[in-house]
Amino acid sequence: MDTNIRICGEAGQGVQTIGDLLTHTFAEMGLHVFATQSYMSRIRGGVNSFDIRIADRKLFSHREKADLIVALTEDALDVHRNGLSNGGMIIFAGDTAGDDVVAIDMIKAAKDAGGTPLMVNSVAAGVVVSVLGYELDILTGLLQKQFGKKGKDVTDANTACARMGAELVADLKGKIPAPDSGDATSAVFSGSEAIGLAAAVAGVKVVSSYPMTPSTNVFTYLASVADKYGIVVEQAEDEICAVNLICGATYAGVPAMTTTSGGGFALMVEGLSLAGMLELPIVIILGQRPGPATGLPTRTAQGDLKFAIHAGHGEFQRAIFAPGTLPQAYDLTRHALVTAHKYQTPSVVMVDQYITDLQKNISDLPDAPDPIDRFIVDNPPQGYVRYAITESGVSPRAIPGGGVFVVVDSDEHTADGHITEDLAARVALQEKRMRKGNGLTVDALPPEIYPDLTEEILLCWGSTYGACRETVDILLAQDRTICMVHFSQVFPLDAEKLKKIFRGRIVTAVEGNCTAQFASMLRQVGALNEYDTILRYDGLPFSGEEIAEKVSGNERNI
Amino acid sequence: MNGTYKLDTTAWCPGCGNFVILKTLDKVIDSLGIDRHNLVLVSGIGQAAKLPHYVNANVFNGLHGRALPAATGIKIANHKLDVIVTSGDGDIYGEGGNHFLHALRRNIGVKVFVHNNQVYGLTKGQASPTSDIGFVTKVQPHGVISIPVNPLALAVSEDCSFVARSTATDMGHLERMMTEAIKSKGFALLDILQPCVSFNKVNTYKWYRDRCRELPADYDPYDRQKAFAAAIKWGNEIPIGIIYRSGRKSYEEMNPILSGEPLAKICKTNH
Repeated sequence: MDTNIRICGEAGQGVQTIGDLLTHTFAEMGLHVFATQSYMSRIRGGVNSFDIRIADRKLFSHREKADLIVALTEDALDVHRNGLSNGGMIIFAGDTAGDDVVAIDMIKAAKDAGGTPLMVNSVAAGVVVSVLGYELDILTGLLQKQFGKKGKDVTDANTACARMGAELVADLKGKIPAPDSGDATSAVFSGSEAIGLAAAVAGVKVVSSYPMTPSTNVFTYLASVADKYGIVVEQAEDEICAVNLICGATYAGVPAMTTTSGGGFALMVEGLSLAGMLELPIVIILGQRPGPATGLPTRTAQGDLKFAIHAGHGEFQRAIFAPGTLPQAYDLTRHALVTAHKYQTPSVVMVDQYITDLQKNISDLPDAPDPIDRFIVDNPPQGYVRYAITESGVSPRAIPGGGVFVVVDSDEHTADGHITEDLAARVALQEKRMRKGNGLTVDALPPEIYPDLTEEILLCWGSTYGACRETVDILLAQDRTICMVHFSQVFPLDAEKLKKIFRGRIVTAVEGNCTAQFASMLRQVGALNEYDTILRYDGLPFSGEEIAEKVSGNERNI
Repeated sequence: MNGTYKLDTTAWCPGCGNFVILKTLDKVIDSLGIDRHNLVLVSGIGQAAKLPHYVNANVFNGLHGRALPAATGIKIANHKLDVIVTSGDGDIYGEGGNHFLHALRRNIGVKVFVHNNQVYGLTKGQASPTSDIGFVTKVQPHGVISIPVNPLALAVSEDCSFVARSTATDMGHLERMMTEAIKSKGFALLDILQPCVSFNKVNTYKWYRDRCRELPADYDPYDRQKAFAAAIKWGNEIPIGIIYRSGRKSYEEMNPILSGEPLAKICKTNH
């Protein structure tokens, strides 16, 4: 059993508040919850939507069609009417509507229940819970918790509003089938929270960013836990400041991070190159959105992969990760920090609006401080130089304030860090830096194969994990033999190992861009020859159903 | 060993004002008893920005225009370090202009010594943000038509903790100003008028010597109105000295996370 609820309305109307409230209510009921958002780049008006999918099994993707739609405005009703599943129900928050729509004047209901028009959110939540056939106790319990601080009057009024909502649809109670309460965990995380928490736990102490959707929520989350974890969160005047500031902070010995999107990352590119030259362990959270230029600021995309891989003038090594699930978002943020420090070179974590905003209940992520190893030499010997030539390319790292001088220069330098135009020294230092690529490639995370390797492969990376995994489940149920190969590290790649996975198999690349950037890169390194593509670049995420339909329609059956 | 870590040969032209600034800074570091292992010299790009290589200290020679963000990051990561930025007018006021403005707002305890020679030297003689109107170069053959940036007035308007001007033509004065800047709390701007013997044939040693006049002994640097007046004074008489001091708290004092040990020290390592 699997039910999809969609709340839609204007920005500023409470779509997100109702969505959050329901997400937590369902999670408290022990249901598996998967919530996603779609919104416009504006503060008021437009049509935003919040989907909450609930099931009695783990969920990895959203669904295109909704079984219950709550439209708060006529525009929202018009936009989302066609998104209703067979047998679904639309509730319109107004006094009249067409025959196929249930009209409930929620503002009137809020006032009748002794509340304010703002409490329409609690009315809507009461309506939804009741239409799905659930009792109100968990919702009202959450309202108590949520409004407890505001006093008994506010709490009681909200509770009364929720009850009023339920009463108004008493004759529709249970009309939309929904899964039974289960034993899923009630801990709900968003992608942004998982990334931010991992960074805080790993001992990031300096975060500097310029706000830019869709990575702003990571920045905001870190600010919200800054006092608890002792993090300096500094809003930079621009992304150029942000990246250079964290270069300074890492030089001085502190794990540091920045968050941005494609346009901001473009401004950071010179700083990224600086980190490559100075051998600094900076980490950049890159939230992609459809470009070029400002593009679609609040929508999702996977269009910046090749940009991230090639960003920065000159040649230097880097590691690039792309989480596809919330546990991966947590684990890979830490791993990006560890890798950056181990190899003294930048790491990038590529996410997008879909994964940063998606909310899901998952087992509690550890929140106790567990700082990573900074790989700093405690007592550097006299005669220490910052860039000693080593076989691995990694030199012993000291930080200023100890017993030796730490000299770093964006100009080419000798092993002691001082500016040079000795071209033999240049070659030695450049080769030293590039040798880090060997270790980075050995350490590269292998792709996840779900469930087992088969003749036909759905190839994906980053946030398309859930949709592809669900596609495989749908197709396996239809007796089509297929598997998913998902990359959560996209650079560097071990082409020799990957050849063995792809050789002789039928590969369909699923990517949120126009040119199948990842697949074409695999072909470039010789790991993949031919492939079909399923691409989406309209700013919306893939769903499992959509990909399954396209794969089923693929005439080249095995 | 540590006495010889610096580079002994500079990339500067004979007679460059940078030599005076280098010599004075080295002297002030010792006279103030600064532990050189606890000192980070930060710079961007340009001839002035090479200065850190010629001093025994920790060095962060970063990107063009980005010295201030890097210095800010270093100071946040370890606020017990002495962090001095030494870079040129093109680097700090041009390429890094936005960072300069916002560094003034933050008021973090970084000391900035700007080698202001009113010209781009390393790129061979184009106008800088502080070139005077009418300054003729190969790129501005009819003379500069934009008014120069006034870094001191900007700093006063942002209530910067310490704003001073000195000149490489007066080593004694420069030494006093560097000393006061380093001793001050919060962000310190020291604009150092400096001849470029290769590319600025207008603002020469003589030009500066003829014009630079110390502020009167009874000048009150805490008077912001008077500070504005002194900051905008330029031409036949150019005031040098401590133009402005504010009682503003520094970033380190304002941010409770930085009230204790430096972040770089409390980052536990499992190594």
